[in-house]
Amino acid sequence: MSSDRKIRVLVAKPGLDGHDRGARVVAYGLRDAGFEVIYTGLRQSPEQIAAAAVQEDVDVIGLSILSGAHLALTRKVFEKLEAEGAEDIPILVGGLIPEDDKSALQEMGVAEVFTAGTPISSIASFIESRIADA
Amino acid sequence: MSETHDDLERIAEAEEQWRRDVLEPRVKRFQLEQSPTRFYTPTANRDFDFLEKVGFPGQYPFTAGNNPFDFWRAHAEAGAKLGIRPDAPGGGGGAGRYSGYGTPEDYRDYQLRMQSLGSRGGPNVAFDLVTQCGYDSDSPNALGEVGRVGVALDSFRDFQVIYEAFTGERDIDKVASNFTINAPAAVIIAMYAALAEKRGIPLEKLRGTPQNDILKEFIARGTYIYPPGPSMRLFRDTLVFCRAQLPKLNVTSIGGYHIREAGATRIQDLAFSFAIGCAYLQAGVDAGLEIDDFAPMFTFNAFGGSMELYQEVAFQRAARRMWARLVKERFGARNPRGMMIRQPIAAHIGCTSTTLQRPLNNLARAMVGGVAGGMCGALPAAYPPFDEPLGLGHSLEAIQLQVDATRILIYEAGVADVNDPWAGSYFMESLTDETEAAAQAELDKIDGMGGAVAAIERGYMQRAIAKSAYERQKRIESQEELMVGVNCFTGEKELEVSVERAVEELYDPGQMATAEERQCAKLAELRRERDGKEVSRTLGALEASAKDEGANLMPDLIECVKSESTIQEICDVLRGVFGEAEPVKL
Repeated sequence: MSSDRKIRVLVAKPGLDGHDRGARVVAYGLRDAGFEVIYTGLRQSPEQIAAAAVQEDVDVIGLSILSGAHLALTRKVFEKLEAEGAEDIPILVGGLIPEDDKSALQEMGVAEVFTAGTPISSIASFIESRIADA
Repeated sequence: MSETHDDLERIAEAEEQWRRDVLEPRVKRFQLEQSPTRFYTPTANRDFDFLEKVGFPGQYPFTAGNNPFDFWRAHAEAGAKLGIRPDAPGGGGGAGRYSGYGTPEDYRDYQLRMQSLGSRGGPNVAFDLVTQCGYDSDSPNALGEVGRVGVALDSFRDFQVIYEAFTGERDIDKVASNFTINAPAAVIIAMYAALAEKRGIPLEKLRGTPQNDILKEFIARGTYIYPPGPSMRLFRDTLVFCRAQLPKLNVTSIGGYHIREAGATRIQDLAFSFAIGCAYLQAGVDAGLEIDDFAPMFTFNAFGGSMELYQEVAFQRAARRMWARLVKERFGARNPRGMMIRQPIAAHIGCTSTTLQRPLNNLARAMVGGVAGGMCGALPAAYPPFDEPLGLGHSLEAIQLQVDATRILIYEAGVADVNDPWAGSYFMESLTDETEAAAQAELDKIDGMGGAVAAIERGYMQRAIAKSAYERQKRIESQEELMVGVNCFTGEKELEVSVERAVEELYDPGQMATAEERQCAKLAELRRERDGKEVSRTLGALEASAKDEGANLMPDLIECVKSESTIQEICDVLRGVFGEAEPVKL
């Protein structure tokens, strides 16, 4: 990746959950931290998210889920990314994720899970180091 | 605060001298730029008029409270001695604790179990997001969401299953029902009416509260379906129908709570909630209803939501006064009941004040909210339970601690023994005035845009709330705002207090995991068994009425419900006529 291109992040709200405070705050924060941020808006299907990730050529996807549907929806997003041949895009998950489900998400392939109280600076530095390693 | 002009001048002089001789030297001694505290004197509020600004509890402008004492307060001590729970939801035949998960069968059985544990009220139903967004459980959009944040409901058949737990002493002419439903609120009201008809209960006996506050869904919570304009038409139809047929049903529960949780400041919360409330009142007036007939059937959903004790008390006082003036002066109401903010609880900390870090601290936080609630003239509700941010549902242990915290405030601390204890405080009256003036300025701005619907259509409220949420996050990250265990006192010397949940789960995780599969199987059975022609006929009639802006859709919706049309089939017909709302981007 050339050094003058900004890191591109897709912040997405899969499923029917309407709690977008966290997604918007993270989107604003990452933008201010120098990332190129695309926010999907509410109620995006896994298909739409995978398609947007490919079209926008993003480096990382952040899924925000607070409804309890995180396991089913994240699994579906992985499937759709694979169908698009874009399974190498790392996925981060944020929201209301019970402790036991964190490891389930990581086993599924999620790069990291960020729950309430995480400073945006931590998310930003995680993404930077992850992209630098890639 | 009835000092004469001469008194005030003497106080002002003395205050100035105190500032020079006492305060400033101390600020200098501690090498501060300014004092970290404030002190208020009668000079803070020179024109204060007690009767105009405060008055008496139960009288306009209701600053000091809606009543000289509330229902729950009347028999609080007697109830405690008898072990009755006047402080618990469901007392007096109201709706019980907010709940819902799994399939209608799971939820019915949960209700029966709660009744065996002493629950007395009607259902206070949380629907899953699939239902709230007007889809069926077998829709591709439903993936992972069926029975999660509430009970799954696809048809009138499901609605009847839930109510199998409410018969006899708990039949729907004896207990109230609350429904947290907005975009499909008209469909749920239609089901409630159809259920009453089936049970031979006159509609006028039905009590309860559908949330039915669609405008706030566009700025918080997000379960909208149609654009704001057609959504308001559905609101009008429910309002007109309820006033004519279900006179005891509250028409709406206007959400201050959700707006604050979404990130709004106190001022935005007040202004946006009241702009939305005014839009609903105007809808009734435009439909030819008499303001004094329908304003009393509006309720609010727990304004509040921060740890700032003083500000939250001032907020409640300002809110009560402001709404009373709006209803009286803008809408010309005369019935005082319509001027009151009726809400289940008042000041409280809100779920966003709870922290995932060191979660037992949330009990201390909720207690602060309870103090604010008691001091603003309401139930001192220590809410929510400390395990709120864990994402596992409230445990019985956490609920017990929360209810006991509220009881301790009532019975041991006597927080609720005085009405509006801050009335006349130089500080509190100033803060109340400032809160009201700032909220009024924001409300004027929205009025200037053409009101709530116009402000939502142009995305103003949505962006303003997101910006406020982000500003708060920045304050937390920069330690301008301090949260214990989150951005301060997080070092190695702090002890991590562990939390055990010993009592069995309220919502069976196994049932939740299989809810989608079971619900879809039942839905397939419904589609096989029902009369398809009748479904088509009723949906066709609904479509024809939807195209006529003047028609009230409630009679058609009741027919659709009785034909066992599904929620999505009904909502799809309306999507076809009304269109769908677009999500707002950054």
